[in-house]
Amino acid sequence: MHLLLVGISHRTAPVELRERLDFASRGLDTAVMALAERRAASEAAVVSTCNRAEMYVVCEDVERAREDLLAFLCEFHQVSAEDVQDHLYQRVDTDAARHLFRVASGLDSLVVGEPQILGQVKDAYGVASAKQTVGPVLNKLFHWSFGVGKRVRSETALAEGAVSVSFAAVSLARKIFGNLAGRSVLVVGAGEMGKLTALHLKGQGIGRLAITSRTLASAQQLASVVGGEVIPWSDLAPTLVDSDIVITATGAAQPVLTRAMVQAAVPASRTRPLFIIDIAVPRDVEADAGEIEQVFLYNIDDLQAIVHDNLSKRSAEVGKAEMIVDAEVGKFSQWQRSRGAIPTVVALRQRFEAIRRAELERLEPKLAALPPEARGRVDEITRLIVEKLLLQPTEQLKTLPDRETVVAYSDALNRLFALADDSDAATTAKAPVAIPDATPEAK
Amino acid sequence: MQLFPLVFYVLAAAAYGVHFGGRSPAVGRTATTLLGAGALAHAFVIGMQTMEIGHVPFAGTTQAISTFVWLLVIAYLYTEMAADERGMGVFVLPIVIALQLVPVLGDPGVEPRSALLESPMFWVHVSAMLLSYASFGLAAVISVTYLLLFKEIKAKHLGFFYTRLPSLQSLDVMNSRAALIGWVCLTTGISFGALWAVQAQAIAPDDPRMGAMSIVDPKILVALVTWLVYTFQIVARRALGWRGRRAAWLSAAGFAIVLLNFLPVSYFLTRSHNFY
Repeated sequence: MHLLLVGISHRTAPVELRERLDFASRGLDTAVMALAERRAASEAAVVSTCNRAEMYVVCEDVERAREDLLAFLCEFHQVSAEDVQDHLYQRVDTDAARHLFRVASGLDSLVVGEPQILGQVKDAYGVASAKQTVGPVLNKLFHWSFGVGKRVRSETALAEGAVSVSFAAVSLARKIFGNLAGRSVLVVGAGEMGKLTALHLKGQGIGRLAITSRTLASAQQLASVVGGEVIPWSDLAPTLVDSDIVITATGAAQPVLTRAMVQAAVPASRTRPLFIIDIAVPRDVEADAGEIEQVFLYNIDDLQAIVHDNLSKRSAEVGKAEMIVDAEVGKFSQWQRSRGAIPTVVALRQRFEAIRRAELERLEPKLAALPPEARGRVDEITRLIVEKLLLQPTEQLKTLPDRETVVAYSDALNRLFALADDSDAATTAKAPVAIPDATPEAK
Repeated sequence: MQLFPLVFYVLAAAAYGVHFGGRSPAVGRTATTLLGAGALAHAFVIGMQTMEIGHVPFAGTTQAISTFVWLLVIAYLYTEMAADERGMGVFVLPIVIALQLVPVLGDPGVEPRSALLESPMFWVHVSAMLLSYASFGLAAVISVTYLLLFKEIKAKHLGFFYTRLPSLQSLDVMNSRAALIGWVCLTTGISFGALWAVQAQAIAPDDPRMGAMSIVDPKILVALVTWLVYTFQIVARRALGWRGRRAAWLSAAGFAIVLLNFLPVSYFLTRSHNFY
């Protein structure tokens, strides 16, 4: 039983190819069902984001399954094998688990620590789980990866700090105003960056959003995308007075907000600060407006410096996050190894149980004279003896350090107890044998 | 006796420092637990002294400081829980430790109280004054962190304080609340002090301390100046829009005056407020 991952990501494939291999476009459920139907694998799940397309399966024969996954990828997306082969990567067992843990932690993301990937991994599992294409191994693997993702986020600063200009602006606004609910925002100019920042602010539940531009049409177009009211360019100065946050993103060659205009917007009686985000190049706001007491003025360079700073802080956390992933991979592979011993454990228990039942049956004539209560006691005692005898070997098997040892031990047990040719005895055992829980610890 | 809580305060300060640097939630909880243990130990010390002499031991300056420290710790613990914000502990605890050193180093033990102080009005006066000073202490610490954060954001060097402190807005609100509570207590304290002085002068007209009980006595004068500073802060916030940085400076200045009144004036200058 092996865990196999085959996939492509932003690290191995250009965006054109990733677009062609996007599972989500035809529905993750369709994809995972189609994959499960191929029967090369006993369990299957598909993780698909704009940066990656990955298939996780559980199989007996890695080489066969790998070929089958490649064939599936080509058929499903109608691409030729030559086009994708060089961009695919494959990971087996421990390495596959490590890969998923790194993905869920955001370590494998384009922007390290980006927050959405954990949700996307959860979605992928949710779809596979709903379609019942996952079994014990992938269930365990994915749940484990959620835990790793959470651990990395809470124990390291890998996902901390804004790493885009618009998020940096929003987090600054939150540091100045606290809750942004009810704050008035003014967008000056209809540039792309202004739009992004306005959208992010909108997500924070701001109150009034006013948009103005020298050309009314572009202001109206922006308003149709982000919402908010369009105000005429001539109302810029009076609206400034009522605003808490101002975003300027015009293409003007000269500053549109002079120090005098800003000063007029913050009279001595003004109690609230004014946060001006100037993301235009060349700048829209005279730099010395930032010297006014209640005014916080940030331009695109300031914001980019913050982003740059946050990115380097994140990369400083990578080592710590990798250590968490390493530790968790270790625990996961321990669990996986313990599963390798399960068939042997089951066979061993069935063998013992069969012997016990056979002996009880053989003694039946002698036991028949006993009252039912005493017979029950005999059954109970013999069962307990078998349990006790098997307890230690079972525990030992489950905690063996590596796959080779598991195979060697299983082999020895098979020979010693003739388990291999014991299938008859096992199937004729009258009572179902409980499969021991192979999970070493509850996670 | 007074050393007992101080040990906890020092340990808590260390934990708050580590928490501030590394922001590990476990260390933060340890810090709060240590400070809570310190407050309990301190309550025990004050309780023992109360039982010994039959009244709360805060008539003398040294013991008033101990009680003040205890109130400050409790006020801080309350804000920490209300705001779910531990970033301020590292600023409050140095004040706590520095002031607690006074009773530790110069513990006069407990002494019998003067017959003059047998009045409920006196106890209201002292309790209200100490409570107001504790609130002002908290407001001052909040204000200092406001100023530090303001400076970082204004200078665009987002760093140490930026990631560790709450927003400017919430710091401003916290400052305004602490200052208002302090002002209410101070007003109560001064009023009851004046009422008590009138009453005590009638009982003991020959006591030299009663003769000195006037507005020109340094202790009383400085208390009135403190009252004026905080009254101005509260009025200016509403009437002139003096929020944020200006309010923060006023809180810091106000508490500097409080400390001045509490230590040098009480020990060396006053002729009216020396009951031991």
